[in-house]
Amino acid sequence: VNRPSEHSDGSGGPGEGQVFLGSGTEAPLLPRPDQLTHIYQLSDPALSELGLDRLLNELLTRVREVLSVDTVAILLVDHETRELVARAAKGIEEEVEAGVRIPLGKGFAGRIAVERKPIYIADVDHADVLNPILREKGIQSLLGVPMIVESEIVGVLHVGSLRPRVFTNEDAAVLQLAAVQAGPAIERARLFEALEREHRDAVALQRSLLPERLPEVFGVRVAARYFPARDEVGGDWYDVIELQNGLIGIAIGDVVGHGVRAAALMGQLRTALRAYALEGYEPARALERLNLLLGSIRGRGMATVAYGIFDPETGVLRLASAGHPPPLVVSDAGDARFIETSGDTPLGVIDYATFHQTEAMLEGGDTLLLYTDGLVEVRGESLDAGLGRLLETSQSAPSAEDLCRQISDGMVPRGGGSDDIAFVAVQQAPASRTLHLHLPADPSVLARMRHALRRWLHAQGLAEDEIGEITLACGEACANAIEHAYAPRLASFELEAGESADLLTVAVRDMGKWRAPRGRNRGRGITIMEALMDDVQVNPSPNGTEVLMRRKLGSKR
Amino acid sequence: MKIADLQIDVRDGVVIATVAGEIDMSNADELRIALESHITNDALGLVIDLSSVRYVDSVGIQLLYELRQRLSTRGQKLALAVPPGSAAEKTLRLVNAVEYLGIVNTPDKAAAAVNGT
Repeated sequence: VNRPSEHSDGSGGPGEGQVFLGSGTEAPLLPRPDQLTHIYQLSDPALSELGLDRLLNELLTRVREVLSVDTVAILLVDHETRELVARAAKGIEEEVEAGVRIPLGKGFAGRIAVERKPIYIADVDHADVLNPILREKGIQSLLGVPMIVESEIVGVLHVGSLRPRVFTNEDAAVLQLAAVQAGPAIERARLFEALEREHRDAVALQRSLLPERLPEVFGVRVAARYFPARDEVGGDWYDVIELQNGLIGIAIGDVVGHGVRAAALMGQLRTALRAYALEGYEPARALERLNLLLGSIRGRGMATVAYGIFDPETGVLRLASAGHPPPLVVSDAGDARFIETSGDTPLGVIDYATFHQTEAMLEGGDTLLLYTDGLVEVRGESLDAGLGRLLETSQSAPSAEDLCRQISDGMVPRGGGSDDIAFVAVQQAPASRTLHLHLPADPSVLARMRHALRRWLHAQGLAEDEIGEITLACGEACANAIEHAYAPRLASFELEAGESADLLTVAVRDMGKWRAPRGRNRGRGITIMEALMDDVQVNPSPNGTEVLMRRKLGSKR
Repeated sequence: MKIADLQIDVRDGVVIATVAGEIDMSNADELRIALESHITNDALGLVIDLSSVRYVDSVGIQLLYELRQRLSTRGQKLALAVPPGSAAEKTLRLVNAVEYLGIVNTPDKAAAAVNGT
């Protein structure tokens, strides 16, 4: 039982003579049992889950009822500013609306907090009361008690009367009991509220860091999902980036840890990776740079990231993974399989880590899925089980969007999992009747051109031998086009292929001047084209050169 | 993008280079430099195993010509392992380089051709 103690501050200010006197009296300090029932209920832990506002409302209503007072107010300690802040009030709501702040140690409430003793003021007009609202309201008598939780002052609870009133020891004991009973619940609710606010802010932050919309790329379907964790904010992200030459960058990442820090680091990494991607870095190089960058960030952290560059023309996906779960591919036929990656270390582990690239082919209709571990890691279950479930869930998804929906419905817990979850799907367009490639005049594109051509020739149902021969002839024509380019960095060339009535036609056009073959090497190129195609025409023009080749399909050379 | 892999092995004074992947104008120079860097003065010669090459065009053939010339000025031999029906064999035949460069079916036979056993 909290026994009100005598207050004497020696200041002798006006009205202060009527401080609460408690000691020395033998009068019972406890209020009537029926009054107490209401007050004891304030310690019910369920109350703190009401949220702080409703909890305080409940507290003040009960106190006002039990003590039959006109006003009741609660001020909570702001430890940063060392002030009491009016948080809730009844009959004196203006105090809260005005956001009254009282320095610790000053005035009526401030002294209660510092001295940790109840204070009774019989005549407000002649007392050291800082808060003008108390006077304006016409309050005559005040009684206040400190709220102490685990020997920490958390606030002040005070009641007031519009008519002069003598607050008894019993009144003080009831108020003190209310403060003691409600204190821990208020602290819990406050903590709860702070955590919730952090969670809300972090989710908002994280959402703002994810792409607002996915890029629309001709012939490619893209879909993605993000699910925040149930309780905590995570550091997952995904990104789809349009790169030069029709390439698409696809990224997924997971900052180890939770909370606002993880989300903020995620934002930094996502932006940095996007910048490296747009600079044209290959996936492994981009991850190496991202790793160095992470090492330079104060407080650093760790992250797993997978970044791939997908070429819709060729179906080639170049992928690097920094400790990230294996990407998944769902074929046009509906079979799901994982792509093996080199499984390099997560970012932030070794400063000068090197990463390796894996290449995979997405045929027409194939869908690539990148995801974070929240999707496949379930507590008390092996990772293999999660991966197996993903494999099963992904079967026969006809499109990127369908795949995302199937996974959302089948694998994401309602209301979020214990970890956040992100996934992104990119689908290769089905093959078309004609092939049109527009490529920079750089030798490095030759391999891509061959992949695209082979893919297209495969789709036309040609035999392997024919595909190899036509690819070789076209390779020579394209190598010529690249050699003709006078400004290698800016120039481009195009290849167009079509088939009709078993006659294949391929045109390779560049913007350069045709030059007669020099040396044995280029002479060999022409020899190869002529040997492998039925007809080869070189059509020079002021704007560039066109090499037109035809071949009757199904014929043996 | 790395489109060819190179593996080097030295057996009985013969450098055996196994190339896998594709050879075109994007990597022919690098490949030639890499190959030359492995040929020591005391090596009898070079065997290039092209069995696992899925694409080689006229630039790749040019590379072989250049290597052969470089080696012969140093008194070293070049032998190519090119199985029948392979991509390399097709390109070599198309440009009539089979006889001049000389091809055998396997790396072992190529090595034997280089060290004269």
